[in-house]
Amino acid sequence: MTSHWCDFQNADVIMNIGSNSAENHPVSSKWIHKAHERGAKWIVVDPRYTRTAEQADIYCPIRSGTDIAFYGGLYNYIIENDLWQHEYVLNYTNASYLLDPEYEFDPATGFFSGWDEEAGKYSNHSWHYQVESETVWDTSEGGDYAWAVAEGVPEFTPPVVQHPKRDMTLQDPLCVFQQFKKHYSRYDMDTVCSICGMDKETLELVYSTYASTGQPGKAGAVLYALGQTQHTYGAQNTRAMSVLQLLLGNIGVPGGGLNALRGEPNVQGATDMGMLVNEHPAYLKWANTTDRSSLRKWLESQTYSDGYYTNKPKFLISSLKEWFGENATVENDYGYDWWPKVPTSPDFTMMSTFELMDQGVIKGYFNWGMNPCHSAPNAGFVRRSMAKLDWLVVADQVATESATFWKAPDMNPEEIDTTVYFLPCALIYEKPGIILNSGRWMQYRNKAVEPWDMAKPDYEMCDLIWREVCRLYEEEGGANPDPILKTKWDYYVDGKIDPRPVAWALNGYRVAGTECNTTSAAPKTDLLPGYGDLKADGSTACAMWIYSGFWSNNDAPLDAAEQPIGRRDNSDASGIGLNSTWAYAWPNNRRILYNRASADMAGKPWNPEKVLVEWTGDKWNLVDAADFVAAKNGKPVPPNDKAFFMLWEQNGRLESYGMADGPLPEHYEPFETPVESNPLNGALNSPCMQFARNESTRKGDSAEYPIVATTYSVTEMWQTGGQSRMCPALVEAMPSQFVEISEELAAEKGIEKGDKVRVFNNRGSVVVDAMVTKRIKPLTVHGETQHLVGLTHHYSWAGVFGTGDTVNDLTPNVGDPNSFTPEYKAFLVDIEKA
Amino acid sequence: MSEKAILFDSSKCTACKGCQIACKCWNGLPSPTGLNENVFSGTLQNPPDVNGDTRLIITFNEMEAEEGMSNKSIAWAFGRRSCQHCSDAPCAQVCPGGALVKDEATGFVSVDDSKCIGCQYCSSACPFDVPHYYGAQSKVNKCTGCIDRVENGMAPACVSTCQPGALQFGDRDEMIAIAHKRVEFLKAHGYEKATVYGENEMGGLHVIQVLKYGVEAHGQVEDPKVSPMVGLQQIMKPITAVGTGATVLGLGAMFALAAGYRHKNLAYNEKTGDTIDVDTGEVVKHGDAQDELTVVEHLTENLPKKKGGSHE
Repeated sequence: MTSHWCDFQNADVIMNIGSNSAENHPVSSKWIHKAHERGAKWIVVDPRYTRTAEQADIYCPIRSGTDIAFYGGLYNYIIENDLWQHEYVLNYTNASYLLDPEYEFDPATGFFSGWDEEAGKYSNHSWHYQVESETVWDTSEGGDYAWAVAEGVPEFTPPVVQHPKRDMTLQDPLCVFQQFKKHYSRYDMDTVCSICGMDKETLELVYSTYASTGQPGKAGAVLYALGQTQHTYGAQNTRAMSVLQLLLGNIGVPGGGLNALRGEPNVQGATDMGMLVNEHPAYLKWANTTDRSSLRKWLESQTYSDGYYTNKPKFLISSLKEWFGENATVENDYGYDWWPKVPTSPDFTMMSTFELMDQGVIKGYFNWGMNPCHSAPNAGFVRRSMAKLDWLVVADQVATESATFWKAPDMNPEEIDTTVYFLPCALIYEKPGIILNSGRWMQYRNKAVEPWDMAKPDYEMCDLIWREVCRLYEEEGGANPDPILKTKWDYYVDGKIDPRPVAWALNGYRVAGTECNTTSAAPKTDLLPGYGDLKADGSTACAMWIYSGFWSNNDAPLDAAEQPIGRRDNSDASGIGLNSTWAYAWPNNRRILYNRASADMAGKPWNPEKVLVEWTGDKWNLVDAADFVAAKNGKPVPPNDKAFFMLWEQNGRLESYGMADGPLPEHYEPFETPVESNPLNGALNSPCMQFARNESTRKGDSAEYPIVATTYSVTEMWQTGGQSRMCPALVEAMPSQFVEISEELAAEKGIEKGDKVRVFNNRGSVVVDAMVTKRIKPLTVHGETQHLVGLTHHYSWAGVFGTGDTVNDLTPNVGDPNSFTPEYKAFLVDIEKA
Repeated sequence: MSEKAILFDSSKCTACKGCQIACKCWNGLPSPTGLNENVFSGTLQNPPDVNGDTRLIITFNEMEAEEGMSNKSIAWAFGRRSCQHCSDAPCAQVCPGGALVKDEATGFVSVDDSKCIGCQYCSSACPFDVPHYYGAQSKVNKCTGCIDRVENGMAPACVSTCQPGALQFGDRDEMIAIAHKRVEFLKAHGYEKATVYGENEMGGLHVIQVLKYGVEAHGQVEDPKVSPMVGLQQIMKPITAVGTGATVLGLGAMFALAAGYRHKNLAYNEKTGDTIDVDTGEVVKHGDAQDELTVVEHLTENLPKKKGGSHE
């Protein structure tokens, strides 16, 4: 999140959308209640009256899969009623930028300009800005970018800075603001209500309450989770919320922010580490076969012309130095060519992986820390795909569904020839290591107990496999030995793999003064104080530039408690709960991202009671670590409009050319929808949905499956239950999974509380318990009654205390074109009493 | 040590059941371990009631909100069902073995297992129907206020685990003051039925509650009373459970007459041996050839099976 948990207390309005925080993040309530007690309003928009809705002041039901209609209506309301934060929007966003004259959106077809029918995707050319002027990097001696041509820095052509054309009156019809206004003028409240199944009075209350935070000095926080991201348009949802927060001036201020509530097992850390196919650790991009096929191409396509990402070459070269150690030299492009290149085709993202197994392309599979036979959408297809593997390795703490896929009730072991290896792994409490919370706080956890029996920490398993692979290469040779044998792998303390030298690698160090492999109680390290010291000349190594600074104390490099990450001082000098001396928040211990935007153009805080940064006339008073250029060459930099310096334009994007599926969020119906038309444009579905044409998805239509279904978690259970279904007390607290249905639908189907109910569609059929409730009501969509049901998904056939059917047999394996995240939240089913 | 209390603020409770689990963990209380042995209640309230192995549950009760109850159309009342540690603890008064003892310092009523003879008079005497029989060990089980923790300077396990701050622990006066302040806040926010519970009930409870939607919505008992029979029982105490015969069993039935937690109002007529439903006058069990054991069975049968709200 751009903010952090304790900052919720500073909000004036809190809106949960796609997040049931009271249920899934109980600790969040503590901070929201603090805000609430100080007079904040709390809104929940959700298909169900959830545990969170019960805590809130305002509850607004919504049909699953229609979030963008809701946001579009809100933008329209904000603009029509002139509730946007003028000074903020004008100066800190791209509202005044003129778009390419060819930019267009056609409501009749539902397409933006640039659609290439043959390729089945957009060209974003017309989504860019008009250019006013161009400047080039000053790489001369003493120039800002002299480092880019220094010795040891690989040769690349620096990008040209294109200064966009702006109209500060916001009147030009091609300026982002006017285009934006025109785009959302279609989203009137009646249309939104008809699509979302909302009541107009409630919607207006939600809109007026949330839009009140557009007043300078007021803060609104958006809390979201998987209810926003697990859609075929999930990334557009995230953008839609960002745009909302920009319009109201809520990003970068205390009590504001766009706050993704991440899951407990280090989802934030996993995201940072680049667990996606195309993501390199620390939000850099992996090498690929097109615009990143060589180091030079990477540097030229990825380095920003302006803003902080002009430093990307430093981050990448330092990463390569960590990856390949002394083998990485400027002569061999720091080993870049040893990195595997992500191909354009085939697609190795998660859902596509199972298609490739089905096709026999993937024959062996390491299944590490996940349980796709239970958790992946269309899980039945996943099981059948796995049965085609030659071998499967599962590393987990219990025999999960994936580890025992052949035992599924619908599988016939006699027909399956896959060899399955099970590696028992240590639980989180059985190993030391670093964990990040949603507020980007890094904290070190010591081992509480020894791993059970043969179980090992994942890094130890990795080490054993790695060393064996290297031995085989050395003794027997093989294809492509260099990527393996040139890799630096020396994270040993006294000969044993250890997370502490890994921490040094993540923090970054000067290569000359550091030896990771140590047997000394006082190892030789030259850890960097932060990423500002990273170099592009091979003299520094750093695996995670964003983390740099968290483990920087060279006096005690083996002691987590003596590092910034180990800080435990909960005194709060800020007075607004920044708690900057507790743990370490990346980047640079910054607690609220984009904090420059908390003050006006003169550097005066919008809210003088809650100061993050303040220009005092000759210098910056920095209560939080500055997320902007506050000083240069030792001299304070007076306030300017560069509030978002992680973008090259350094202004937030109301319109963005960076998305695969359109520069502005536009409402399209989900992959499976109960309606036959889209009142907002001529396209029913987004043309950019991923995998929608794959045979395996088996799309259902509303004639056969008229009920909208969504899935979610309950607080008593954890994901696929590998841990929580092993705890009898938790199984007792939530003994099975259920389908939540309205009293009206229950009456129609003759279902009573506790009955067994069959829920089915083209992909699968499951029997679950019925929870008949007043907390879900039928909605009126396009003038007709629409039923909606919700399913939990924690049980399946593997387990010793509690088992059940696999609810993800029902969810569709389609996804978002930007993130490839699956659609778990909106699909069609029918139900009957079992 | 001054009088202590647990504060339960239903308006901050997210019903995560962390307290329910923490109670089991700290007190070493088992859960069923057979494959799919636990049966889903049809609501989030699982297990459906406190039992011999479960001293605390969170209850769920959903309603269409009445006028003045809330600004929203639905009200979902979360409740905390467990021992409330009455000042006038009738369970301790009737306990013939001295197993249930009120700690005068804290006000908590603790259980000494070794002294419990399994007579279950406490279950009948309790206006909240809290003490439950623990079949496997022939004992009665209930919340002790984690007196073992409290005496060592710690909060009860349920309180320590509560993340949203719905449970607090401290001096009783202080908890009452916090509760009143919160009720004021809730009333100003459209929850006109919000009330403090436990300040005066049963001579003052040691669980103080903020009930967002009023007493009954959260599964609590409006104006609970000590059974008049409890006083009489004091006289019986010297007689041990064995051999007290029909008189004591009769008393057991008479406890039900006290205002309390959904007991059926039953009366046992010693002369005829009949058990009568006081509300309807119906003879629910004839005394013909009735032996003492069937009276016990009968009483057990008539104890409410499910408590703690209407389960949505």
